[in-house]
Amino acid sequence: MEATALIEIAIDGIARGLLFALLGAGITLVFGLGNVLNLSLGVFSVITVVAGVAVVPYVPNAVVAAVLSLGFVAVLGLSIDRTLLSSVYRSNGEERILLGIFTTLGLAILLDGILYVYYPLNYSFPYTGLSLSMGGVSVRESTSIILLVSSALLLALFVFLRKTYLGKAARTVFQDETGALLCGIDPRAIRSLTFVLSVVLAGVAGILWSTQSAISVATGFELTIFAIIVSIVGGVRNIEGTIGAGVFLGLVITFGNFFVGAYVSMVILFAVVVTVLILRPEEIA
Amino acid sequence: MSETAAEDAALDGIVREYRDIGITLAVLAVLPAFVVEAGMTYQARLLVLFLTFASLTIALNVVFGHTNQLFLFVGALTGIGAYTTALLADSLGVSAWLLVPVSGLVAGSIGLLVSYVSARRGMTVIVIAILTLALQLAFGEIFVGARDITGGSTGIPFRELEVEFLATALGETGQIALYYVLLAFVGALLVGYRLMMNSKYGFAFKAIRQDEIAAESVGIDVVKYKSIAGFAAAAVIGLVGPLYAQSEGYILPSMFAFQSIDVLVLVMLVLGGMRTLIGPVVGAGVIIYVNEILQDAGQWRTAILGGLLIALFLYFREGIVPKVRELRNGELGVSAPGSVLDRLR
Repeated sequence: MEATALIEIAIDGIARGLLFALLGAGITLVFGLGNVLNLSLGVFSVITVVAGVAVVPYVPNAVVAAVLSLGFVAVLGLSIDRTLLSSVYRSNGEERILLGIFTTLGLAILLDGILYVYYPLNYSFPYTGLSLSMGGVSVRESTSIILLVSSALLLALFVFLRKTYLGKAARTVFQDETGALLCGIDPRAIRSLTFVLSVVLAGVAGILWSTQSAISVATGFELTIFAIIVSIVGGVRNIEGTIGAGVFLGLVITFGNFFVGAYVSMVILFAVVVTVLILRPEEIA
Repeated sequence: MSETAAEDAALDGIVREYRDIGITLAVLAVLPAFVVEAGMTYQARLLVLFLTFASLTIALNVVFGHTNQLFLFVGALTGIGAYTTALLADSLGVSAWLLVPVSGLVAGSIGLLVSYVSARRGMTVIVIAILTLALQLAFGEIFVGARDITGGSTGIPFRELEVEFLATALGETGQIALYYVLLAFVGALLVGYRLMMNSKYGFAFKAIRQDEIAAESVGIDVVKYKSIAGFAAAAVIGLVGPLYAQSEGYILPSMFAFQSIDVLVLVMLVLGGMRTLIGPVVGAGVIIYVNEILQDAGQWRTAILGGLLIALFLYFREGIVPKVRELRNGELGVSAPGSVLDRLR
């Protein structure tokens, strides 16, 4: 087997892994800050793609369409946070975790149902990228876009959490809600902010994902599952871990697909999750 | 008090204790006569589906309701049960009925293993939920992917649990006969549930659910009782698997998906009332009925179901059976608005 082919697979794997990382960060942010495991995350990816495809004919180019659709999904996320999640945040501890699972599951089914009625087809976002070629290794246009956009976004997220006041406040809430409250941080406002941030991350991941394979309503749940897997393997309250886990699992699944086939590599993926859960259950609780 | 009077009193006690089960079973026994028009197999199929899901919900009630282990792989366990019976019957050439208990045992062992490991590792309800969800999806992949054994997504036909003798004896269709087989099964489950909850197991479950550490400190073996609950529930689910496959006539991976079983069973449990005897049966009945009415809503069915799920979990977590009980005791006027107000605050 040629080295260039292996490198090409590795590049594809990293691109896939960065998408996983974006999705996983979406779960990690909301679970870490509010103890809500958002089972509807993937639906927001699908909604963003559908909204983007719907406005493309009316705007000058695809980038504008992407920005508009992300704005739409941000507003949708904010309104859901203000209504549905407010009810969830009223309860505490384990009850909140359960209520969060159930309401976001209900939300996922509700949004899926609405999408099925109006947008039952497969959608992919139009794009123009650069195809690179270096020493025999060629990178697909869509892969180059994914690599550029998602690494820039993850870097921005990293800087936001490390360097800005809001990011530091968010990390404080991650670690100690009461302590944050005593420091004058409003945990509820921070949670709204991160929920919107998480659906926007999912939206970007959705748009990028759809440049490689068309997205349908059924893809939503699949993306949610990938997001949960990545977030769990990386440690649900740890953004850096999530990003690392995303890239690692992206490589695992891409090489797995190539060498042992799609279904075995999916089983391997779930085996990794089960192992991590058994070894470190206290990290999630 | 004379001896006969004491016996009478004891008998009276038993009658009182099992009266609700008796009434439920009697109602379910005459149900087909009212619901199924002559020759209508469609309605008979719905009734079978109703009892299938009622059994699954009773099982989830034991493991989730009573011991806080949120099993999100009910679908996978059902599938394991169905495939075990079907594949073994095929390769061994013995009657499928003999292999149904094997299905229960296989699924039960998986439940036992999951409960044992999760209790030993001190997993909270969320970790168990994610763990079992991962198992659900892994098994789903295997059902589809191991094409040589399971027939992949084309599935395998399965009609080996026919109850012809019963059908001819009743002068009814095969589906109705299957309904009565399931009814006997549900009856056994309800009696078993009552016995379990009135025994030391019921008390141990209650103690564990309220405070695991306190339960441990008074000498309750938490790992043991959680494992028993996990085994019992998973074994029941494994037994239902082949019956479910028989009613559909086919075994398809999509029948056992998270969206097609787990979501429904959870809604049924919460709607009917957790930790009640009849709740799971009532919940299953209502959801199968609602689902049927929603057929008229056509494409909007999924969306409406999702909305219902949200409303249910936010505002109606007590469930129908506890609600009715409150109503009968005349407490509704005080508690219900209070709880609603509490939610809206």
